Amino acid sequence: MTRRISMSRRAALLSFMLIACVVTAFPILWMVATAFKTPDEALQTPPVWVPGSPTTDAFSAVGDVIDIPRSFLNSALIAGLTTAGILLTSLLAGYVFAKYRFRGKNALFALLIATMFLPPIVTLIPLFRIVTQLGWDASLVGVIVPNLANAFGIFLMRQFIAGVPDELIEAARLDGASELRIVFRIVAPNVLPAIAALAMFAFVYHWNSYLWPLTVLQGNEQASPIVISLARLLTYTGSAANTPQVMAGATLAVLPPLILFVILQRFFVNTISRAGMTG
Amino acid sequence: MRIARQNWWTAGFLAPSVGLIGVFVLIPIVLTVWLSLHRWSTATPFGDAEWVGLRNFDALFSSELVGRDFRQALRNTFVYAGLSIALLIPLSILFGVIVHRAAVRGTTFLRTVLFATYCVPMIAVAIVWSKLYSPTEGPINQALGWFGISPQPWLSDTGTALISLVFLNVWQQLGYFTVLVVAGLTQIPPSVYEAAALDGARNVKLLFKITLPLLRRTLLFCVVIALINAIQVFEPVATITQGGPVGATNVLTYHIRQVGIERSQGGLASAMAVTLLLALMVVVTLVFALMRKGDDR
Repeated sequence: MTRRISMSRRAALLSFMLIACVVTAFPILWMVATAFKTPDEALQTPPVWVPGSPTTDAFSAVGDVIDIPRSFLNSALIAGLTTAGILLTSLLAGYVFAKYRFRGKNALFALLIATMFLPPIVTLIPLFRIVTQLGWDASLVGVIVPNLANAFGIFLMRQFIAGVPDELIEAARLDGASELRIVFRIVAPNVLPAIAALAMFAFVYHWNSYLWPLTVLQGNEQASPIVISLARLLTYTGSAANTPQVMAGATLAVLPPLILFVILQRFFVNTISRAGMTG
Repeated sequence: MRIARQNWWTAGFLAPSVGLIGVFVLIPIVLTVWLSLHRWSTATPFGDAEWVGLRNFDALFSSELVGRDFRQALRNTFVYAGLSIALLIPLSILFGVIVHRAAVRGTTFLRTVLFATYCVPMIAVAIVWSKLYSPTEGPINQALGWFGISPQPWLSDTGTALISLVFLNVWQQLGYFTVLVVAGLTQIPPSVYEAAALDGARNVKLLFKITLPLLRRTLLFCVVIALINAIQVFEPVATITQGGPVGATNVLTYHIRQVGIERSQGGLASAMAVTLLLALMVVVTLVFALMRKGDDR
């Protein structure tokens, strides 16, 4: 729709958007501002909006309560390895569902897709027991392995691989390429934006995920990702004077997924747009 | 490619996904249903489960404390989901229409800011909002004061605690649903609007007569996703309210985990999970039926 908009309506629209941006960004800005406040400032009523003499004391105090490097390493391991697994399993299965024909294909696909709409709590208890029986409780293996494949990834890959021309794949077969080679050398390069988007979705989701690591790790601090350490930081710093410390911890935890998003948001938005449409 | 050869590749390529999803999703679903009919401690192997028939379900719908707590959590969960949807859908349509028009510069920036909240870990959102809601030194009550609104108790009162969590959820998810709505809007051919404009239809009329009906499939998808997401609310309850005050924010993901993991009553918690799943299927079927009724008209 390209219609002319009058100046006054333009101004109204702009001010509406400005207010929306400020309201939306406020909690994040407040978090960062509070992280640089002194304990006294955090206690004042009415609240201090902008720290008078910004200090990084709160950030150093975070390290007194939780092991920051270790937590980040655990988060990176969980999010990184899970993402790698999801990419691999989704690419292979997505290729089969997009390009192969076999009996029961549609039924199997429907069964897998149905799991996409399952709230995790429904399977949490037996899943926790299975992981315990396997001897993976209280360890990163238990956090990672059950999430190495998921229906969303398969669905997304199938949608995009279906758009890769059959001629391209047939030509490679005539040249004697194996199916494995076709997946990685022909199909994957043609769906790179979707792979990038899936990688970001998976990474952000598993960096942020809380319920499953909390359940599996059972308080094992050595294996705690940053989100679990953050909850511990909150527990150990009850009084309002410690608010800057908690906010400093939250700021640190938020940075990696937020930076990733800001850099790569183009893929993010385009892909949920396309995947959402077919849902 | 010969059929036999393709069969090998099919099996090989599907094995990792189907194997993992089978063991870690499909088998646990079957186990949840099976365990719901047993008395079983989560700390013991599955083999120790003792058959009790429907007795777990009887307890959930009895007047005992177990049943009252569960039904309160079930009610809280669907109230939370309903309120979240009631706020998220209209707001995402509003923002979606604005962003889609893009007649004014800055819409991309708005979209980025909106969507960025979706990437913030829920635990951080919960912690930050718990401070924003603080009755005395919190900035929200301060800002309300500027408009002459008296301070609200937010998370500390049974009447306002659940809706406080709804606001937090809406804040985090609005950007995601806005992007979905924008995607839906781009599917509507401009010619439809041009024809309507020739007929003299005005803006508001365009929205209700053309945009919303054509957006129905997208909105249906949004409602279902918002519902599933709302059922997963956990972090703010687990870390900030612990289900309180007086059970006002006790929601099912928190409650089932409390019963099944913290108290190891695996059979009872599985019965709760099965009830949740059935309730969810009924609601989703109803939503689809309502939409179909709309299609027939």
